[in-house]
Amino acid sequence: MGRNGEEGLKGPELLDNPTEQSDRAIAEEDLERAHLYALLARVLAEPMGDETLEVVRAIEGKSDGNELGGAFAALGTVAVRTPRGSAEDEYSALFYGDGARGELLPYASYYLTGFLLEKPLANLRGDMAALGIQTSGISKEPEDHIACLCEIMHGLITGAFNEPASLETQKKFFMTHMAPWAGQFFTDLEGAESATLYMPVGTIGRLFMAIEAQAFELAA
Amino acid sequence: MTKTKKSRRDFLKAAGVTGGVAAVAAVALSSKSVKAAVPESGKSAGYRETEHVKKYYELARF
Repeated sequence: MGRNGEEGLKGPELLDNPTEQSDRAIAEEDLERAHLYALLARVLAEPMGDETLEVVRAIEGKSDGNELGGAFAALGTVAVRTPRGSAEDEYSALFYGDGARGELLPYASYYLTGFLLEKPLANLRGDMAALGIQTSGISKEPEDHIACLCEIMHGLITGAFNEPASLETQKKFFMTHMAPWAGQFFTDLEGAESATLYMPVGTIGRLFMAIEAQAFELAA
Repeated sequence: MTKTKKSRRDFLKAAGVTGGVAAVAAVALSSKSVKAAVPESGKSAGYRETEHVKKYYELARF
């Protein structure tokens, strides 16, 4: 899609957008959710490159009594002092491993069954087909990788695949494919031995998964 | 705005997802894993820039 241009990197002014309308296609809070899913997808899909590191370094969080804000502040701070090589090494240790497997296996099938490429992946593929989503062929990871699921949530919210999905559809997908395990994965990431840059990523993900689950309940 | 929408929005704001607690840059997501499926008729070529999508990218200032 080729939209990862430079001007997108420093675009946090969204909240200053004065056009406060309740009837526009995608509500402000949903755009923010989409941004969060995009951020998680981006840092979890592959080792952070220079461009991604710049995005992450630009994150500013206000830690005034808000856990999520504090985690963002931590991520921005750690990213500023993390060179690209270290970020790559950390990602490798977490997800690829040196010879053996990485410290974590970020797949729904593994978390839910103890094995890779199991029934949760088959169920996910069925639901993806029903939603009109297919794999791009670029990633070699199975679809139940956490980053892929975050990409799907992002696309459902923004309408990147078709029309923006209803909250009901988003909720069903989230509750089926993420809620049962993603919180545990992010908790594991937060506490992983190799995690420094990824520790606040784990915190953000853990908090966000809990927030999403609660928010979907409010929308029910 | 319905009451339900408002309470959900208020909750997301209080939780820090919206409202400027964290200034998360609008991350340009070059989708690595997934794309819109091409219908079997083969007529539609995957990604469609709908009005919603246009609006999204306009708001996100890519």
